[in-house]
Amino acid sequence: MTQKELHHQRLVKEASGAYLQAHTRRHFIKESAMGLGALALGSLFGCGSNKSATNPVVFDAAHPLSPKAPMFPGRAKSVIYLHMAGAPSQLELFDYKPELAKLDGQDCPQSLLEGKRFAFIRGVPKMLGPQSNFKQRGESGLWISDHLPHLASIADEITLLKAVTTDQFNHAPAQLLMHTGSPRLGRPSMGSWVTYGLGTENQNLPGFVVLTSGGKNPDAGKSVWGSGFLPSVYQGVQCRSEGDPVLFINDPAGMDRDLRKASIDAINDINQQQYEDYKDPEILSRIAQYEMAYKMQISVPEVMNINDEPQYIHDMYGTKPGSGSFANNVLLARKLVEKGVRFVQLFDWGWDSHGTSADDAVDIGLVNKCRKIDKPVTALLMDLKQRGMLEDTLVVWGGEFGRTPMQENRGGKKMPFKGRDHHTEAFTMWMAGGGIKKGFSYGETDEIGYAAISGKATPFDIQATILNQLGFNHEEFTYQYQGRPFRLTDVAGNVMTDIIA
Amino acid sequence: MNLLFQKKSLLIIATLILSVGVFIYSTHSQTIDYNTQVKPIFNKNCITCHGGVRRKAGFSLLFRSEALAKTESGKPAIIPGDPEHSEMIRRLTLKDPEERMPYKHDPLSSNDIDILRKWIKQGAQWGNHWAYIAVQPIPVPAERKFLGFIGASKEDWAKNDIDYFILQKLQEKKLTHSPQADKATLLRRVSLDIIGMPASDQLAQQFYGDKTDKAYENAVDSLLASLHYGERWASMWMDLARYADTKGYERDDARTIWRYRDWLIKSFNANQPYDKFLTEQLAGDLLPNPTDEQLIATAFHRNTMTNDEGGTDNEEFRTSAVLDRVNTTWEALLGTTFACVQCHSHPYDPFSHDEYYKFAAFFNNTRDEDTYADYPLLRSFTDSANEEKNKLDEWLQQHATPGQTKKINQFLKTWQPAINSLYCDEFTNAELNDTKWAAFRNNGLVRLPNTNLNSATELIYRYRAFLPGGVLKIHTDSATGPVITSIPLTVTKNDWQIASIPVIATAGVHNFYLSYINPNLKKPDASGCTFDWFYFTDPFPGEHQPGYEEAKKRYWGLLTMQTPVTPVMQENPDGMRRISHVFERGNWLVKGDVVTPGTPHALNPMPANAPQNRLGLSMWLTSKQNPLTARTMVNRLWEQLFGNGLVESVEDFGTQGIPPTHKELLDYLSYKFMYDYNWDIKKLLKEIVMSATYQQDSKASKDQLDKDQFNKYYARGARVRLSAEQIRDQALNITGLMSNKMYGGSVMPYQPDGIWRSPYDGRTWDLSKGENRYRRAVYTYWKRTAPYPAMMTFDGVAREVCTARRIRTNTPLQALVGLNDEACLDMARKFALRLERAIPKNPQQQITVTYERATGHAIEAPALASLTKLYNVALQKFNAGKNDACKMADDGSIKDDTVATAALVVIINTVLNLDEVVTKN
Repeated sequence: MTQKELHHQRLVKEASGAYLQAHTRRHFIKESAMGLGALALGSLFGCGSNKSATNPVVFDAAHPLSPKAPMFPGRAKSVIYLHMAGAPSQLELFDYKPELAKLDGQDCPQSLLEGKRFAFIRGVPKMLGPQSNFKQRGESGLWISDHLPHLASIADEITLLKAVTTDQFNHAPAQLLMHTGSPRLGRPSMGSWVTYGLGTENQNLPGFVVLTSGGKNPDAGKSVWGSGFLPSVYQGVQCRSEGDPVLFINDPAGMDRDLRKASIDAINDINQQQYEDYKDPEILSRIAQYEMAYKMQISVPEVMNINDEPQYIHDMYGTKPGSGSFANNVLLARKLVEKGVRFVQLFDWGWDSHGTSADDAVDIGLVNKCRKIDKPVTALLMDLKQRGMLEDTLVVWGGEFGRTPMQENRGGKKMPFKGRDHHTEAFTMWMAGGGIKKGFSYGETDEIGYAAISGKATPFDIQATILNQLGFNHEEFTYQYQGRPFRLTDVAGNVMTDIIA
Repeated sequence: MNLLFQKKSLLIIATLILSVGVFIYSTHSQTIDYNTQVKPIFNKNCITCHGGVRRKAGFSLLFRSEALAKTESGKPAIIPGDPEHSEMIRRLTLKDPEERMPYKHDPLSSNDIDILRKWIKQGAQWGNHWAYIAVQPIPVPAERKFLGFIGASKEDWAKNDIDYFILQKLQEKKLTHSPQADKATLLRRVSLDIIGMPASDQLAQQFYGDKTDKAYENAVDSLLASLHYGERWASMWMDLARYADTKGYERDDARTIWRYRDWLIKSFNANQPYDKFLTEQLAGDLLPNPTDEQLIATAFHRNTMTNDEGGTDNEEFRTSAVLDRVNTTWEALLGTTFACVQCHSHPYDPFSHDEYYKFAAFFNNTRDEDTYADYPLLRSFTDSANEEKNKLDEWLQQHATPGQTKKINQFLKTWQPAINSLYCDEFTNAELNDTKWAAFRNNGLVRLPNTNLNSATELIYRYRAFLPGGVLKIHTDSATGPVITSIPLTVTKNDWQIASIPVIATAGVHNFYLSYINPNLKKPDASGCTFDWFYFTDPFPGEHQPGYEEAKKRYWGLLTMQTPVTPVMQENPDGMRRISHVFERGNWLVKGDVVTPGTPHALNPMPANAPQNRLGLSMWLTSKQNPLTARTMVNRLWEQLFGNGLVESVEDFGTQGIPPTHKELLDYLSYKFMYDYNWDIKKLLKEIVMSATYQQDSKASKDQLDKDQFNKYYARGARVRLSAEQIRDQALNITGLMSNKMYGGSVMPYQPDGIWRSPYDGRTWDLSKGENRYRRAVYTYWKRTAPYPAMMTFDGVAREVCTARRIRTNTPLQALVGLNDEACLDMARKFALRLERAIPKNPQQQITVTYERATGHAIEAPALASLTKLYNVALQKFNAGKNDACKMADDGSIKDDTVATAALVVIINTVLNLDEVVTKN
């Protein structure tokens, strides 16, 4: 068989497997629903039913994760959000500024400094020209630098957002703003909102999965995938490539699957007796949760295992089973989405190019970081495409803010390496798939890349657009808390209709 | 709680209000009630466009003055007494959809319009929302009233006044109460509620042996007297206080604040009256001669987060902490969502934008300012240090004025009020290193802006100097101005040291310039020294008196001694006081009008003798005229016992909160709490658990489920899943591993590897040793960005901000924790080993004991059969796979009892997962 035939055969096999699993799942849900008796009533109130237009989102404590229809038919079924924690430099990757190159080494004009607050820049810094070579790519002619050669080869698949802005110049608050709509702690993350709104397609897997790489968690910690004031069932579940793939998923040493089954059977038998006595519907829910836990114990390690992926996939992504790399996480993201997970969020730590050491220099460390993500990210888009999944999977890439056109001079000193400080007024993100235009560049910055001048996009606009692609009107998608309806986009946000295909 | 239900209950309540309203209107009186009849119509249909945030066409319905004022059209929308000429009524009744209100929505019903018409006719009187009116005495529903309806036997059911309120509602809802729960269920319930874990064996024996009518009451009294009581209620309070062992945000470094937890436990155990309990937490430092304990109480509001991320603006996060204190005070203590008012006037409740900042002004003058060290810190002295301190006090009594003594003591105990180096600006050849400390390079220059040294003649400073030869000079008014002191800096290497130097007295406000020269600094980029704080003061008093040197030495010994510390509140002294502003649209960078401390007009006035500071604030808060304080606490205690508050939205009593199910009962108890019980929490708890309502069986009948699925009307006992803390404590208790050790720093029980991965934080989770591994959940180390995962799975909260209510969920991840968490397995193993040794080779007996310890009642045949079957499956497996048996029992090699022990581990693990074990029946 040729490679192509092999590939085809594998796709067919996976498809039939998926069907079987979906069927079994439906069967299980149906059975439980019947068994749940009084509880089934809950699903009559809109959850899971396919009502047209502006379905209100309702929290059903008995079935918090049942699949639900969005407010209107969305273009994307799931989201893979790739967050480069630390904030990659747009000026070395996407925002080509020949004028800035000319100013390299000159003092920054006062007009750019007056009334501004920076994290580390003090006094008068020097301008720093782009530390990479740019070319126009593909038919679309998008500007992408040599730091990302693979991505450059598929420029025609993505939409660049070149005028993203934020108002937070410290990592943790900026990450929170991007993911929860507020720079302070306590709000639900985007993935939690989406899981609250859509439930999960695959009851044997969490609806919202988080994967981290780069050796550290993002600066804002687990709050960036926390559920805030939403019920905790909607918080992101961190899957890990070392240790248990999900916390507590593995049976204790010495317990095999049959024995675990026997013990869950005993629990559920006794719980059933308890139900006969007390008639509390929560007991039935608990019985169902133990069944699901048992199934998750099989399905999660299965989906988290990349050993069985064919070699060509490993070659494509650059994955090595067993490591906690970004590449592995990207491949896992594809597998998870394939299995019906709604929201997969990746955080890769180490993009904070201040220039305090070689590792965080824009011409050294940044290049290394790019190498580690370029191939897998490109593979992800291609792989999704070849499986016909890119159409309904929205892929988002970006950081929490951008970097200054000035070279950082921490504490007013010259830095040992070339680096840039945190910058709020313009940075680049990109989106692909999920009904977003292909090979499109949106938004512009001024000639040195300091400020957005057109096509400005705030974190709220990004959030509104992501929700829109999933079938939610961000202004009506609310949760009642502290006496008022809260939404992800707070009181702001516009859907960026210009980038929708 | 379920939103579906909320909607349903709102509907029921709305219908009820409406029908009651119609009833009142049609039979008793013509008067329309603003609160129950008019306000709901406004809130539902009008206020989103004509309220606090948006005032379309210049019309707002928030306050009466606004509603009667002229709108953009030049005429008022409401003319009291004249509905026919009131624009509002005209617009509500128009046919043209472009003009008819509510715009683009369905028209109001004729019934609603009728109500509004009559209300305007009657003068358009405004009314206060019930929760903003001081609590009034409430009569208990008359007993005889029930005789006719329910009969004498039902009346016998009532055990105290609470039950008459409940009965009244049950009767309305055509529900029947349930019989009393059996003794075992009752004891387990009341123990979990009062001490957070099952009763001790001794108490259980006493209770079962006590055949008198007082048996239950005696048990309740014992539980209330137990030291575990304080731990259980501290645990609840810690969600409100957002207690954590780390500072939050990016670095999320450790913070030592556990003495506050100890204070809470002791305070609950001592049954400190609630008003005093609140006063000490809000303003303990402002009480006359505060004790260390009273200062530690103020750590309540030092649990705000501190941002140590490099490059952050400390003023931004100081401000953020101040606003958090405002929001927490309102949410936790006043059951009101105040955070909305941060950006604009409250859209539904009578709180205006500037009132938020007036309230914030109470908190805006504390000394803390997002410093890395979390200053001010209370330095706790050992006994021997306290002896030294007593001797020092004697000296001060003789040689210092009371004012001097006070200052010296405050500085000695807190190293404040100093000028923290982050107050410096205009750095040249210097920087605020990592935005934490002023660091000087050679020829470094830094400014201390607008500072009044009050003619101080001594400077005490905390610093590090890395190499010799450095001199720091302080100049007045300019970099070359007169030098008031010149400090040759002794090398400290990397250690921080405190030293002092005389300064020339300067009066009035000046800019001071700190210059640093060190010819030994060769590299232009290298720092020679860093400064933490500067304290300008007077020389130690009593110079030239006999014994001066000894006293001064004693003072310096205490001042520089390493001590444990706790962040506390301290008010800024004159000269360091901040001016408070309104923040336009909540943006701290856009400062509006200047404000002074004040409380909202809609609530009780400040008591006449109350000072304009946090102490005055706490007097206002604990005044019996404050409509919210007692209601909020009563409701909270009710929620803790029944799973839901009488007001379900415990965090919001406002007009958008969920209306109370039993308003009269809430008010009755609140009144009693203040006036009869003098804020005695234990008395209030006892009253509730002594009610027949509380003691009911929790089995649900079909009728009860049909009419009241969520048990809003208490026709049966509460049935609620245990909290994360209760689950752990109960398991420790069942398996006999619970350590009885109280107080002290947080501990680290089993946690999977790889949970802590904060950037810039090399700290690790170091599994506690010995009994510290088996402490109550309340002592578990709490890291904000990576909280203890097992407890988070059971709806624990990260405690980054105040959380008034945990929402209970039921998920497969909880099952996984219960089944697979090493902490649970460890308990099962240790218990199995004990059981196997105590009653060897007797599975029936072992299963029975396990089950009975776990549930508190006798095992029934079907459960015994299920567990026996499982035991046999396990035994067979482990006999076939001895290796697995060793792993399960955690035995290095196979022994006589390994297989049986392993099977027993499986049984215990199973039993701990049963619904009836994780649920309070």
